[in-house]
Amino acid sequence: MNGDNEKLYQERLDLIKKAIHVEPVDRIPVIYMGDAFSPRYMGMKLSQYVSDPEAPVDVTVAAMDRIGGFDGINLAGVGRRSAGFGLGRMKMPGRELPEDSVWQVEEIEIMKPEDYDTIIEKGYPVFLSEALPRAIKDMEAFQANMAWMVANAGRKLQDYRNHGYVIISGFGMGVPLELFAGARSTPQFFYDLYRRPDKVKAAMDATMPTLIQMTIMITKMSPVLGSWIGGFRGAPPFLSPKLWDKFFFPYLLQMVEALVENDIVPILHFDQCWDRELSRLRELPAKKCVLNPDGMTDLRKFKEVVGDHMSIMGDVPSTLFAIGTPEEIRNYVRDLVRDIGPQGLLLAPGCDAPVNTKPENMKAFVAAAHEFGKV
Amino acid sequence: MITMESSFEQKIADLQEEEILTLVRRELESGIDPIEILNACQKGMELVGERFSTGIYFISDLMMAGEIFRQISSILSPKLGGKSISKRGKVVFGTVKGDIHDIGKDLVVGILRSVGYEVKDLGVDVPSERFMEAVRETGATVLGLSCLLTVAFDSMKETVKALEVAGLRSKVRIMIGGGPVNEKVCKYTGADGWGNNPQAAVNLCKEWIA
Repeated sequence: MNGDNEKLYQERLDLIKKAIHVEPVDRIPVIYMGDAFSPRYMGMKLSQYVSDPEAPVDVTVAAMDRIGGFDGINLAGVGRRSAGFGLGRMKMPGRELPEDSVWQVEEIEIMKPEDYDTIIEKGYPVFLSEALPRAIKDMEAFQANMAWMVANAGRKLQDYRNHGYVIISGFGMGVPLELFAGARSTPQFFYDLYRRPDKVKAAMDATMPTLIQMTIMITKMSPVLGSWIGGFRGAPPFLSPKLWDKFFFPYLLQMVEALVENDIVPILHFDQCWDRELSRLRELPAKKCVLNPDGMTDLRKFKEVVGDHMSIMGDVPSTLFAIGTPEEIRNYVRDLVRDIGPQGLLLAPGCDAPVNTKPENMKAFVAAAHEFGKV
Repeated sequence: MITMESSFEQKIADLQEEEILTLVRRELESGIDPIEILNACQKGMELVGERFSTGIYFISDLMMAGEIFRQISSILSPKLGGKSISKRGKVVFGTVKGDIHDIGKDLVVGILRSVGYEVKDLGVDVPSERFMEAVRETGATVLGLSCLLTVAFDSMKETVKALEVAGLRSKVRIMIGGGPVNEKVCKYTGADGWGNNPQAAVNLCKEWIA
């Protein structure tokens, strides 16, 4: 490794850790995330990006180098892309979709109502081994990719460090609600909450120990600081407070506490608007978690309600990256730093900079982050 | 009659799936006109919409209500004997080209139908030509375009443009919706209105279809 890059890496690591733990910083860290944007920006077809196991790291590092100014990456993908989050079946570019289309999750019922019984009686791993072939079209390729990951993921992710970049988070298993909603399909899962709530709850309880164990194991194997906990179908607009309290929050709390005990930073990748439940975030361990919203949560309200209990990573909206102007991006970052920063803030795309991000907008984001992020 | 209506209305509004389906079957067997039952159920769905608007209900509640109404409709349909209830208006709906997400689209279509709109659902990944054909064929005065991906913004824009070129734009009001949609996207695409929940679509239809 280049000695200058290692020095840079250590400086950036120190800066990012301070920001995560809401300590004073001399500038606000700038974090990248542009899963499908990176190949598009670097001129690689998305079909190649999803099928070449080396490509996600190679092309993302190259995009970060070319744009310049980043300290780290939010979520670093590695290997070939396969089954979607929560066992959702995926449509892939070059397979079911045109060569340069974005991969998309096909919401179908991979998990059946009787699978709750399997989970309760035999455990989540047994269910997973039964359900995976239903979600994955080519099991042979999937297994080959898993073998590649075991042998190469650690080495490949090291490339970020070789270029001086810190990886904030690796992929986590999250909470049972998101896995079940993905595997049952969102509508069927929501009907389950009315038709068989006790069974869903029992299956969630039975699943949780495995999720915690797998998340800690995967994270410890990777050169990352934290682990993603997704909040998609568990977002407040989807669930009444009563359902949220029963089926989402207790598991979020369990997962967060387990990760913190293991020195893993919980990255709460929460899409949609979380305003209703912001006060509940104060129940999570202080200055140990990062809220990673997508631009829909009111961060001014967050500052009032949650204060310095938790840091923020975000949240320039994907819409602005796609159809906004560099000036709009600059103004957004300026206002964000003024109202939310500088302490406990990591500037980043909200959710993810989408495939059709205008390159000039990504450059404007980095420029604004450096202009306004100085303390 | 009033008792039956309020009973249907309340059971749907309270999302009592088994109870309402049992009641529908029982009332049908006792000779009640299926149209009356359907009308009563629609009032229940209006109440569900009100509860959503006032923050009592959330998306999962709307989905459950839509599922209950779908089952009621499938019980009643064979009994209607060609009769149809008066419709509030015609709507064409679909997820635009390049996007295959259907959850939001299905939810909005289900809710619009449940409160009395006649909706032609074109599915997902729908090119602008199919939207135009459907608007022409049905005479719909509202077109709903759904998406989840930001790449779909251009498909929405193209669809609006294609309607203009075909001389259909003045005949139809266009609403757009989906996760990343907001006022800025509405202006970008040239649509007339936008929303990020099913009730917003219902409200736009009520406003646009007198």
